Amino acid sequence: MADNTTTLLRFGKFHRLGHTFTIISFFGLVLTGMPLVFKDYAWGQWLYGAMGGYPAAGNIHRLCALLTFVAAFLHFAYLAYESLIKKDRGMFWGPDSLLIQPKDVLHILGDILWFFRLGKRPKFERFIYWEKFEYLSLMWGTLVMAVTGYILWFPVQATRLVPVSVASYIDLPSIALVAHRYEALLAAGFIFSIHFLHTHMLPENMPTDEAMFTGKIDEAHVKHERGAYYERMKEEGQLEGLRVKPSSPMAKFVSRMMGVPLLTIGLLMVGFMLSSVICSLASLFMDLIKDLNIDIFSIFAF
Amino acid sequence: MVSLSKTTTEVFKDSKICKLVIISCFISCLIFISSFSSNNLFAQENSDCMECHADPAEVASKVRVDHVTGEVEIVTMVVDEEEYHASAHGGEDFYCIDCHSDLEDSEGEHYPNLQPVDCVTFCHDDPAATFLEGSHASLMQEKGVQLPTCKYCHTGQKSKMNTPRADNLEHRGDTIEKCGGCHEKYYRSYRNNLHGQVTAMGYVGLDIATCVDCHGQHTILNSADPESTLGSEKAKETCGKCHPGAGNSFVKHVAHPAYKDVGYYKSALIALKNIRKDPAEIKSIVKSPQTLLTVLFVAYVGLLVVTFAQFGTHMLLSWLGSILDDRKENKSDHG
Repeated sequence: MADNTTTLLRFGKFHRLGHTFTIISFFGLVLTGMPLVFKDYAWGQWLYGAMGGYPAAGNIHRLCALLTFVAAFLHFAYLAYESLIKKDRGMFWGPDSLLIQPKDVLHILGDILWFFRLGKRPKFERFIYWEKFEYLSLMWGTLVMAVTGYILWFPVQATRLVPVSVASYIDLPSIALVAHRYEALLAAGFIFSIHFLHTHMLPENMPTDEAMFTGKIDEAHVKHERGAYYERMKEEGQLEGLRVKPSSPMAKFVSRMMGVPLLTIGLLMVGFMLSSVICSLASLFMDLIKDLNIDIFSIFAF
Repeated sequence: MVSLSKTTTEVFKDSKICKLVIISCFISCLIFISSFSSNNLFAQENSDCMECHADPAEVASKVRVDHVTGEVEIVTMVVDEEEYHASAHGGEDFYCIDCHSDLEDSEGEHYPNLQPVDCVTFCHDDPAATFLEGSHASLMQEKGVQLPTCKYCHTGQKSKMNTPRADNLEHRGDTIEKCGGCHEKYYRSYRNNLHGQVTAMGYVGLDIATCVDCHGQHTILNSADPESTLGSEKAKETCGKCHPGAGNSFVKHVAHPAYKDVGYYKSALIALKNIRKDPAEIKSIVKSPQTLLTVLFVAYVGLLVVTFAQFGTHMLLSWLGSILDDRKENKSDHG
């Protein structure tokens, strides 16, 4: 692998910029928002204080939310530009699409067989099925978080949209809080455990997948990870157009210096979150059995 | 009689004695008048009290018997002057004996265990009356619960002696715990709301609602009462203190979401069991705005469990798979 110096371009500057925006805003949002969910735990209170306390942490949260909107806007502007002006529909249907394709169902089934050593791993296309799920859940999550976040930001204005007769069944700010909180748990938990372990900390690209920071990927790596894509590119003769200079050691070092602390923070967060959830479940269990009064020694009363 | 009047006129003719009498009359008049405006001219200054009460060696451990419960405890009677001046009664115009009136004429060391301070009779009769007339106090009396004294809620952080100001942050945080001590269910559901989440972090400034900001301070009426601060008439005004422009829909907010309360699910199950006998009960539970929140909560918990179980398994299996594949490749390379 090491002797193969050919390098391919996987992500352009635009997508790397979008990912960087998402990283900054996501970490800001999680670090200022998650303590509120785990308010009863010392780490949550410490983190909230470290992020500036009551009004400041909220303001950081809102600033980061605006940055998320910028990233989302850039993304949808890109989609519109590519599809409407460049007339490139490949991103909605076909092998280059990030939407679920019929072939992905076959890939999932093939992967399940491979899990149980019943066959070889299927050759994946440009985007693997779990990457598509991650992308789609990011889109869905951003939408939910944006709508509910705006309701929580402007509760008075939001409730004006609801007629009084409906408001006694549908309490918009409360619904928004529930959705915002649990969607946040879902998003943060997913990114910090599944996305990190599944994309960055895979055995083959430990500790980070540098492709997202430098944009470049080894040819052998593509061949191994996304065989169908590599072969398609080769057949269509596009492979030469993707070739770029290998990333410099400096770029690799910088991307690691960026990636590793972020990974550490994320994994620490998910560790704290998981242990807190286990603690709350244990206390719920204790609450539930508190009234039962099972006297296990009664069996000796013969 | 004649001789007596003679001597009187003689005495008055002596100008020195006359002057003395006039001056002493004037002074006694002054003292008499000043005793109306302030009775502290000859009484103890605060500094007299502080001679002992600033000295931990003298008063650090004293026995105190609670006048209501009869509990005996060892307390410190050291008065932190800085804390006292920061408290509600710490202004220039207050003397210790204004409140501890049973020490008015005592000098030096006084007897232990003073009478409880009477906040109500001369100064705070208004809030006391509204508290006693409110449904909160009358309901407590009905149930035979001991009514709290002023000092139960208005107590300083370090010492009962200091009465905190209304905007004192520690007092505001302490109030939540005091109310929550009895209203446990509402305390837990409050903590589930955004107001309660922020105050749980210790940020209890005037811009985040604690119990008293919504339910009122002394006149505490049931929120179902139309005259209460959260009743149909005043709710907009109460919410509008922090959320200017709060409308009719805004005040329907569920400030105490029940979806994390085991009792809520239990009561729903019991109502479901009794659906034949009493269909109105389950109807009232389902028709409240809590239902939608609960459904959303349960759905999200389900989504969380399914997502993490599925993707967690997927991740572990694909890790295992790629490690096994690598080994196989290495073996075939070597072999």
